Amino acid sequence: MMNEVSRPADSVEMEVFSNRLLSITEVMAIHMMKSSFSAQIKERRDFSVGIFDAEGHLLAQGTHIPLHLGSLLGALETTLACVSIADMRDGDSYICNDPYLAGGTHLPDIAIVTPVFLEGGVVAFVANIGHHTDVGGIVPGSIAAGAKSIFEEGIRIPVVRIARDWEVDGNLLAVIAANSRLPDERALDLRVQVTVNRLGSEQTRALFERMGIVNVRAAVRDLLSYTSHRLIRHVAAVPEKRCSFESRLDDDGTGQGRPVRIVVTVWHEAGKLHVDFTGTDRQVVGAMNVSRNALKASVYYCVKTLLDPELMPNSGLFDAVTISAPPGSIVSPDYPAACGARSITCQKVARAVFGAFRGLLPAGQVIASSHDVLPVISLSGRHPGSGAYYVYAEAIGGGAGATAGHDGMDAVQVHVTNSLNMPSEVLEIEFPLLVEEYGLAIDSGGNGHYRGGLGIVRQLRVLADETVLSVRSDSHKFGADGVHGGGTGQVGALVLQRDGAVQEMSSKVDGLVLDAGTTVRFTTPGGGGFGSAKIRPVSALMLDLKNGVLTREQALRDYGDILQAAERAEF
Amino acid sequence: MVRIGIDVGGTFTDFMVSEADGGELSYFKTPSTPHDPSEAILTGIRTILETRGIAAGKVAYLGHGTTVATNMIIKGKGVTTGLITTRGFRDVLAIGRQTRPYLYDFHKEKPEPVVERCHRLEVSERVTASGDVLQPLDLEELGRGVESLLTDGVQAIAISFLHSYRAPEHEKEAEHYIRERWPDLYVTRSSAVLPEFREFERTSTAVLNACVGPKMAHYLDHLCADTRELGIGVEPMTIHSNGGLLPVAAAQRFPVATCLSGPAAGVIGAAIVSSLAGMPDIVTFDVGGTSTDVSLVSGGQPRFTRSRDVAGPPVRLPMVDITVIGAGGGSIAHVDASGGLKVGPRSAGAVPGPAAYGKGGDNPTLTDANIVLNRLNPVSLLDGRLPVDRDAACRTVERNLADRLGISLDEAAYGIIRIAAANMARAIRAVTVEQGHDIRKLALFAFGGGGPLHATEVAREAEIRRIIIPREPGTMCARGTLMSDISLDFSRTLLERADDDGWSVTIETLETLVRRGDAWLQTEGIAASARVFNATVNAYYVGQNHEIPVSVDLSPIPSVTAFREAFHHAHRAAYGTCFPNRQVVIVSVAVQAVGTIAKESPALLTGGKSLAEAFKERREVYLGPAGWQALNVYRRDVLAAGEMIIDPAILEEMSSTTVLLSGQTGRIDRYGNIIIDDEF
Repeated sequence: MMNEVSRPADSVEMEVFSNRLLSITEVMAIHMMKSSFSAQIKERRDFSVGIFDAEGHLLAQGTHIPLHLGSLLGALETTLACVSIADMRDGDSYICNDPYLAGGTHLPDIAIVTPVFLEGGVVAFVANIGHHTDVGGIVPGSIAAGAKSIFEEGIRIPVVRIARDWEVDGNLLAVIAANSRLPDERALDLRVQVTVNRLGSEQTRALFERMGIVNVRAAVRDLLSYTSHRLIRHVAAVPEKRCSFESRLDDDGTGQGRPVRIVVTVWHEAGKLHVDFTGTDRQVVGAMNVSRNALKASVYYCVKTLLDPELMPNSGLFDAVTISAPPGSIVSPDYPAACGARSITCQKVARAVFGAFRGLLPAGQVIASSHDVLPVISLSGRHPGSGAYYVYAEAIGGGAGATAGHDGMDAVQVHVTNSLNMPSEVLEIEFPLLVEEYGLAIDSGGNGHYRGGLGIVRQLRVLADETVLSVRSDSHKFGADGVHGGGTGQVGALVLQRDGAVQEMSSKVDGLVLDAGTTVRFTTPGGGGFGSAKIRPVSALMLDLKNGVLTREQALRDYGDILQAAERAEF
Repeated sequence: MVRIGIDVGGTFTDFMVSEADGGELSYFKTPSTPHDPSEAILTGIRTILETRGIAAGKVAYLGHGTTVATNMIIKGKGVTTGLITTRGFRDVLAIGRQTRPYLYDFHKEKPEPVVERCHRLEVSERVTASGDVLQPLDLEELGRGVESLLTDGVQAIAISFLHSYRAPEHEKEAEHYIRERWPDLYVTRSSAVLPEFREFERTSTAVLNACVGPKMAHYLDHLCADTRELGIGVEPMTIHSNGGLLPVAAAQRFPVATCLSGPAAGVIGAAIVSSLAGMPDIVTFDVGGTSTDVSLVSGGQPRFTRSRDVAGPPVRLPMVDITVIGAGGGSIAHVDASGGLKVGPRSAGAVPGPAAYGKGGDNPTLTDANIVLNRLNPVSLLDGRLPVDRDAACRTVERNLADRLGISLDEAAYGIIRIAAANMARAIRAVTVEQGHDIRKLALFAFGGGGPLHATEVAREAEIRRIIIPREPGTMCARGTLMSDISLDFSRTLLERADDDGWSVTIETLETLVRRGDAWLQTEGIAASARVFNATVNAYYVGQNHEIPVSVDLSPIPSVTAFREAFHHAHRAAYGTCFPNRQVVIVSVAVQAVGTIAKESPALLTGGKSLAEAFKERREVYLGPAGWQALNVYRRDVLAAGEMIIDPAILEEMSSTTVLLSGQTGRIDRYGNIIIDDEF
């Protein structure tokens, strides 16, 4: 029996306070986006802002990136551990990025933490994280799947003070900038990050002044306990049993090697949700490792999505979840493992947690596995005419898992990302490539009462010699699991056609040189199905056939009985 | 000269009539007829002509805002539509931008494409990015395809080929072929609706246009015939999303342009009224039954955006940049299982509506809260036409909220208002910051039935010190249609470098677009002296994805150097920075062709009564921390210019109610607006 958690003392004040905090995070986020220089922050919105209380509880966060959920916490915890509040002054700001020294998730994500003062004391903190396009390391962009240690991934920054009296430390800035291939952009964006915190701290101070610190404390208490209570209510509704699930990466990131297992067990006990990764394989040589805080963010994302999508991302949510992982595993690697290319592994962490929850959730809330990859394809080379160097890179979506009541969504990004595609017209305007097909991957959804969503096919013809292909993907070996008898989604594929020969590739390709005329066909995986294919409504099956998203051959394999029965009935 | 402006809303159809230059406007309201919106329009016009003794032949202008197209899109009630695409690209519509609509919720699905896959047909044809033909269009294949679509019940067809923004020939050929063989079929080609790159947005816009086309054409034919039958000699115009007016033929060709019809008219009207009042920098605040529209006007100019989702699929056309918040009078308040009080996003809408309206609603709404606290007239609204059941409002707030939270009825009702205000203020702050404006320098322009009711609380929450409330705020959108001009936008993608060569292509294209706009205005019978052209060049720095609009003069067109300067400046204004050494790409150019319409000059408020004479009653009203207070209630519509209201008060008029809080001072300006200043 769970303990009765007290209701908010003042529900109105709490809701108004929550709106006011979110308004500040929105204003911070808009400034961050508008004032920054690098495309990663400005156009892809790969950043996050948050407000904390003086003890380091997250009160409100604004982000478009689920993988940032709670990722500011690490920076704040470390700042509080490294710097005494007594030494902080109004106008100070702290910087950090390192997964091992400062609770980071990978080096390009640089955090700035700023204390907020009222009447001479620290009453809150504001913080932001921005993804910097390049922080050094062995490849431009600082994310190399083949990096073998954190030292190959760029500059490591422990918690250090970067501003005093709102003056940014020029020496420190120079050191950081000098470690980037784009030094000017780094210096400018770091200044923007400090300015955004200054704005956030002014507004937070004004809000606290307006409400009075006593009322603020009461509202904070209400807000955090309300969030916890909401989550725990959902957790309490799940049976007290342990459910496990295993997901697999094709390999260790090199394109060879054995599959890597991620094992998770989930249970509820004494009002807490436990997520334990015991049984997960050892950390890998490449950069597919998931640091402690990236793991937390992935799990928080799953909990919010599975139990209560509207739940506010604050410490009330985090405090109700306990995460454990064996040290030295791929989801809790030992120093100095590389962890830049964590995203695909994070997707597989989400697959495992979603899978484990299937045994705990009512059927209506369960969803089959989605494609669960973050497949990045890139082609680079020189324009035949101008000789200018170009890079085409795109993260391509796939099929989502089916739910109780709906086929899985076709052609979407899932879990930790939601980035846009590149319009084919833009692709052809900017690069010497011809798009021969951009469509849904036929037959790719797992069968079921509700079928899995379809993956995407992108077929490109290379128009210039010496075009370099790189692919960082996964799920060429293991498809998306169905649920309650639903079928597995089709795996992804990468096929080259050159000189009349067809060549199937693995999910990782590093710098393969292609000639003009080569065709690259990249297919992303489909989602898993929900429920038995035997009870798929005939109308839905016939519509899929009519719409051509399912071939007759595949339909006979997956739905043979009902298809034949339906066809007999027609005659 | 009699001019009639109309706004067709979900519940009421509003009319604004101007009978003489500089004369008073008169208002009229009749229940909407959703099954056939033209019915209410006709009823209203007939009543106006009869009661005011106006001869139909005297009507020199008829303009209306309509949600016919919008509702078709939202409710999926357009016709069965087919799509013809380049081979290999029929799924562009289904893939969209490959994003899921809700980051944290897989149970809320990506919307189904407007055209089913079996009605998305690929034909052999291919043009490259540079406009070269790689494969000619196979007309026979096209013919067979259309034939099969028609057999399958398709009633309208959109054509969208890759790179048609640059080389529209194949699309034109296909359109011509189809029109020749099936002259009655509604056909839209993407390069006619939006000759701009990015195939998904262009295709989506074309598909929506085709999907609403046949029914919209029918509706307008009907409306024309009916008004003609009444003896009105002018064609009804339709407000479209950029706030301009479309004559019937253009609205039938580009019905998708009307998808933001009514709200845009409100913003256009607000911009003009506030500028006249000497406050050209405002945030509009239009509170309706289910949602609140917020838009920024700066220097008297509404802001435009280029893209917007209409219930899922994107429409990419120039439109007034309006942010919609899911909170309105009908928003339902509830206590969740963990004791949180939430307002919206669920709405009681017009039916069943707030509990106090007695149409079957029994959930506590924002309107009910205002009735419980006597901010809204607890007896009746709309000049007595809408009876109010205050007891019902009290019962539902008490039972569903106060009891569950263990607070008083008054606290619960006031809580709803505060939470709604915090929510609305947050959206207003985001809009102003996004556009780079200092909120303290803006005024809040409140209209719609519920705008004035909430404006004073919302302005305080958002720290806005001044509020403008126009006369009869509930009919602002109808009034806006009296203030607009005919306009249509012509655009084209260029993707040229901003250097000498690229600039000469730009100039040439601008001139072509002006010629096309001029020809259109000519066919609409607009005198040459009334034709105005506004040009915009959309550009970005190499490597960026989002273009920024830069207005350019047409006579003379500036030099490329001057343009680049203007672009750096615009970039700085939008993003706080610019990169003077980086290459600038001219993405597209647009020309808005405007045909100005003769309008009455604004009426100054003459006559009217003193505050004492406008006194209606004394009413106990709940004002928040200060509790219940006996306030004076005044009739706003009879107040003379110059009258001041110093103490907290309620100002009632037919279509709206204004709540003046303590510390706020109201005065009636010479146009009859209430200007409220706050001393907080």
